[in-house]
Amino acid sequence: MTKITPIILAGICLIVPVLAQQSEQDYSTAQSGVRFAPLHIYIDSGNSSLAAYQFELKAAAGQIKIVGVEGGQHKAFKEAPYYDPAALANDRIIIAAFNTGRDLPTDRTRIATIHLQIIGDTEPQYELKLAVAADSDAKEIPAEITFEKGE
Amino acid sequence: MSKRKEHFDEDSAARRPVENLRIPSKLSADLNAIFQPRVEVPPEVDRAVMDRVHKHFAPLQTGKDRRLRIHWAWRIAAAAAIIIFAFSLDLTKQTGPATDRFSLSKAQAVDIDRNGRVDILDAFKLAKKIESAGNTETKWDINGDGLIDRSDVDVVALAAVSLDKGVL
Repeated sequence: MTKITPIILAGICLIVPVLAQQSEQDYSTAQSGVRFAPLHIYIDSGNSSLAAYQFELKAAAGQIKIVGVEGGQHKAFKEAPYYDPAALANDRIIIAAFNTGRDLPTDRTRIATIHLQIIGDTEPQYELKLAVAADSDAKEIPAEITFEKGE
Repeated sequence: MSKRKEHFDEDSAARRPVENLRIPSKLSADLNAIFQPRVEVPPEVDRAVMDRVHKHFAPLQTGKDRRLRIHWAWRIAAAAAIIIFAFSLDLTKQTGPATDRFSLSKAQAVDIDRNGRVDILDAFKLAKKIESAGNTETKWDINGDGLIDRSDVDVVALAAVSLDKGVL
């Protein structure tokens, strides 16, 4: 009996956490619907050319996880912007990019797309704040940041 | 005294019927015959069963084998403990390369435009300086690799988007 006890205990110690983790995942997936959706970010810089931007996005309501970030529509911001990798699987992210070239977007342009995992039935609410927008001379310009929910 | 003796005599007389409740030996034998289990295991069968039991469990009884099994049991338990400890550490969390962390902390101290905050404009201005003049000032060697290039700009930009800077 004394020989079997450690084996049984070891088995329990191994199996229980694995099962608990699995059931937790199953529960969260089954209980609350999980879906993926893109969030398109736009900056309207008016007549000024947009050479650099930085903004912060976070979930004000609902449960989201950021799963990916991709670049924008214009050639100047086509490449994936800068962001902290720690933001992935988080609900807050700071995104920034710049372009030292001459071919820069004006007016309203999509600068980035954030791919989200939305957990639960609650429609998430987002808090979006433009930290800075600048022209090709690195001078701050007035600009408006908006987002559009994708399907 | 005589009254007391009489009293005892009465007691012994009253007790007599209880003594008479002894079951007759014939009745006892008959009851035993009815209620006792009729299946009797012959001693040789009993011995044979016990021999087989002893043979079956004999390896477990030997001290060497017993020690070996206990030894293995503890090894398994130790392995399980290590695995559980590894799970508890949650190795899936990526902390990023140590060099990046070092570079980021260094970059946080570098405010290129001296406006009191590190943002994308610091990286942008550094990039413009490098592109326009091929600036060789050693103070712009942010990552300390001896070169002033795009990787220094990247370090500043990553510092600008670091989540450690605070919330909205």
